[in-house]
Amino acid sequence: MSLAHLRDALTAGDNETLIRYVRLHVGDGDEVAGRREIDKAWVQALTVLLDLPDVDRAFVLETLRTRDHATLAHLFFSLHFHLVQQSGEWIHDGDL
Amino acid sequence: MSAIGSMITKSDVVPLAPMRRPLADSRLTFVSTAGVQPIGTLPFDVVHPVGDYTFRRVPSSATPADLEIHQLKYPTDGAHRDLNVIFPIERLQELARENVVGGLTQDFFSFIGYNMDPDLLERTLAEDLARAVADEQADLALLAPA
Repeated sequence: MSLAHLRDALTAGDNETLIRYVRLHVGDGDEVAGRREIDKAWVQALTVLLDLPDVDRAFVLETLRTRDHATLAHLFFSLHFHLVQQSGEWIHDGDL
Repeated sequence: MSAIGSMITKSDVVPLAPMRRPLADSRLTFVSTAGVQPIGTLPFDVVHPVGDYTFRRVPSSATPADLEIHQLKYPTDGAHRDLNVIFPIERLQELARENVVGGLTQDFFSFIGYNMDPDLLERTLAEDLARAVADEQADLALLAPA
């Protein structure tokens, strides 16, 4: 799926194509696996918060307040891969 | 022509460059998409949805212990046991020692193959790499996809 194709989808408001691309990206080319990976990251994030551990909210708020949109979007993808790695179930062939 | 959504739209033919001198007199460089990089350099951006358009220099004198792999798209079990299966740096060092090739460039070059914008790839990474290879006065380049 080319970048031009994604830009066309964005222009057309075709969110299904965009999210399909995300699933393919995080699922190593397998859309079904990608959907599971997205779920896995959310489950992992929820899991570590269930017991209400201390969190550095000042860091989070400062980061959200001071960093640009692109860096935060990249952080979102980075956190996804970090969380799925933390879950212990790693489907990818290589290494972060 | 290309299928809808395909990245491939070019039909250009890249002409082969003839060798200008015998192999034993030629300085060899190595360009790899394996995501191999010196330990301590900024890891390749393997999570970016549109890819990474940078390359790393890998000293041709490096040992596998000096290097690490950052990429998500090929199995690395074998490469972790012997890096030469994907990035044959010790084999190329042997070829230079045995005078099969005239020598190695000071640095080799590495990037990752996950780049979703072929135009950007051509304008930036490919140009930057070509310039770096020329600056190293390479007579020939071994290109190896991962």
